[in-house]
Amino acid sequence: MDTLITIDNLHKSFYDGDSELKVLKGVNLDIYTSEILSIMGASGVGKSTLLHILGTLDRPTSGSILYEDEDITTFSERQLASFRNNAIGFVFQFHQLLPEFTALENVAMGRLIKISKRNKSRDTDLNNNSTYQDAQRLLEDVGLAERLDHYPSQLSGGERQRVAIARALINQPKVVLADEPTGNIDDKTSQAVLNVLQKINERLQQTFIIVTHDSRLAERADRTVELVDGKIAD
Amino acid sequence: MFCLLQYDNLDYMKFDWFVASRYLLSRRKQSFISIISIISIIGVSLGVATVILVIAVLDGVEHGLRDRFLANEAHIVLRDFGSAYFSDYDRKIEEIKKVNGVVAASPVVYSQSAIFRQDNNNIDAVILVKGIDPELEENVTGFSQFVKGSTGFKDTRIIEEASFINDVKITGGIVLGSRLAFRIGVNEGDVLRLVVRMVEDALNPDSLYPIIKHFVVIGLYESELTVYDNQIAFIHIETAQEIYEKPGQANVILVRLEDAERAPEIAQKMTEPPAFDKIQMPMTTTWLETHAPLFAALELEKIATVIIEALIILVAAFNIASTLIMTVMEKTRDIGTLRTLGSSRGNIMRIFMIQGSVIGMLGTFIGTALGLGLCWLLSTNIVRPTPWLALGLVVFLILIQIVIAIRHLLPYAKIRGIGFTILWVIAIAFGLYCLVEPISLQELGLSQIYQMNQLPIRVNWFFVGFINVLSFVICWLATIYPAWQAANLNPIEALQYE
Ligand SMILES: Nc1ncnc2c1ncn2[C@@H]1O[C@H](COP(=O)(O)OP(=O)(O)OP(=O)(O)O)[C@@H](O)[C@H]1O
Ligand SMILES: [Mg+2]
Repeated sequence: MDTLITIDNLHKSFYDGDSELKVLKGVNLDIYTSEILSIMGASGVGKSTLLHILGTLDRPTSGSILYEDEDITTFSERQLASFRNNAIGFVFQFHQLLPEFTALENVAMGRLIKISKRNKSRDTDLNNNSTYQDAQRLLEDVGLAERLDHYPSQLSGGERQRVAIARALINQPKVVLADEPTGNIDDKTSQAVLNVLQKINERLQQTFIIVTHDSRLAERADRTVELVDGKIAD
Repeated sequence: MFCLLQYDNLDYMKFDWFVASRYLLSRRKQSFISIISIISIIGVSLGVATVILVIAVLDGVEHGLRDRFLANEAHIVLRDFGSAYFSDYDRKIEEIKKVNGVVAASPVVYSQSAIFRQDNNNIDAVILVKGIDPELEENVTGFSQFVKGSTGFKDTRIIEEASFINDVKITGGIVLGSRLAFRIGVNEGDVLRLVVRMVEDALNPDSLYPIIKHFVVIGLYESELTVYDNQIAFIHIETAQEIYEKPGQANVILVRLEDAERAPEIAQKMTEPPAFDKIQMPMTTTWLETHAPLFAALELEKIATVIIEALIILVAAFNIASTLIMTVMEKTRDIGTLRTLGSSRGNIMRIFMIQGSVIGMLGTFIGTALGLGLCWLLSTNIVRPTPWLALGLVVFLILIQIVIAIRHLLPYAKIRGIGFTILWVIAIAFGLYCLVEPISLQELGLSQIYQMNQLPIRVNWFFVGFINVLSFVICWLATIYPAWQAANLNPIEALQYE
């Protein structure tokens, strides 16, 4: 299997005045292309922190993260924004949909950002028409073909989470990072969301990294690792 | 695929505008924010509208005054030191006319006299007597166009007739300032007595007795400039020379130029060699110098107006800033989400700057339209503001408000909001107009120097443009801090913001 991400000796500490809180203490982990990896661990152990660093929302204190041999810890702020836009999809515990936009527009948002960046370099192979077609197809994939023009407030919790998954996929990212995607919905709905996830993984061969407390979710993953005391347990 | 069609035009719509416009138009959870943004729009519009109106009035006054000064007065007045009399004015005038830019020149004998009506032994007024050569004067000030009656100062028929009726020796005809004539109660055809000088009594050296000359009023001078209409009288220069005992002399030469604006430069030329060697008139006063204090006061008033309006706009800009700061707080989670989706800090910054700028632009635009509308109202005289009209407007607005308050009659919140804003801006501005307009004529002291029955309006398009740019720039600057704050939110903290 190809390695997509290589995490090498990753450390992360939070500083509050003079006191240092060591959260990640040398994480080493390879993540393979197209796998569904679940990360488990006790509350407060640093799962979200690791995911944020993988998603370039935060920077590590030391260590490196290679995405296909590119070390993202060396990227500039601008490169990171563009990297997040192109290579990463996020799904959070709380759906984080934009309330002023319809489901379709929420899904399209990442592509619109991409187009606005591309416009500067006069690349016109992306256009809004195909954006909304792609967004619609993704919403169909997650079973929301009938909900395109609904606003988040008009959707159920599970539907919102499925919109969030569709949104994460709009730019065909290398990896989708999900932080407790089913943490806020009931069991039955979580199963539906997970079905969607799995279906997409099979069809689009996207890599998923899922932080979860839910052992049933972990069971459905290709591989599960556990974070213990700032390190990946063997 | 209806829903797809409506997105076609988004191809050219940048992401920033897409998000910003949705935020601007969306139904707000916190209606407080939209109230503040409406207040900011009203503030900006009122600032812009009033500055446009006030400056148009001040400009109008200035130009009205200029026009009247230029119509009534010489562009340059030449004197000898101490207004001394000189005799070779014909030669001097020939030399003056040779100066480049000079159109005409005329000699004048200026003096002062006390006047009595024929039936009165008390002094009615002390006036400025201007002895002129009617033909030469006509080319310099075109004075006859302001005279109601005759300008035949030496018309023997009129003089003999008046002489016969009143049984006195009439020295000549006199044209009186219209207000002066009204004040002392004389009319065309009446006889007026001028005290031209005092003579020592040969028998009693302690007492003086006056030399009195009789004049017949042949016309009234109405320039609409109170300074003149209230205190001036015209007689023939030869008569003046005779009664004031200055035969063949004058004490002032009036000059008209092709271009009045060049007066300072040409006046300068006249006091320098080689022109001066021939003209020999060392004291020059241009019309601009004569009225410098007035023009300076108007200029000051304009500057003060602009500063006050800039402050009004500034306050409105603060409103915009606070609206944005609250919007940023309300949208913190959205900002975090947008960052995870890959929008840069620049994107976030622009999204909020666009929102503030649109508010500023809307305010500026409404204000400009309103200011120009009021200018038009004032200049056409279609609507005369009265307290009743203002009251009627308030009643009308209250009715509208009641109608709007019944929500179902107007389905769209946005339209209601915008409609509200525009109505209130118009109402407040019109209220101000009703209050300001009737007093402003007196307040400005204009009726004293300038008899106007209507505010003069002159819209300076360059200035309107300038105010638009100024207002927009102020509003735009106000957006920078909140937008910068939004752009620098930590995405992780923003995502977790409650
Ligand atoms: N910005 C921060 N500043 C200081 N400490 C932080 C910060 N973010 C996280 N921490 C601390 O780092 C530790 C790990 O937090 P993290 O959110 O990664 O835990 P987690 O494994 O996701 O827990 P949970 O399962 O409850 O979500 C916690 O002790 C937390 O208090
Ligand atoms: Mg967590």
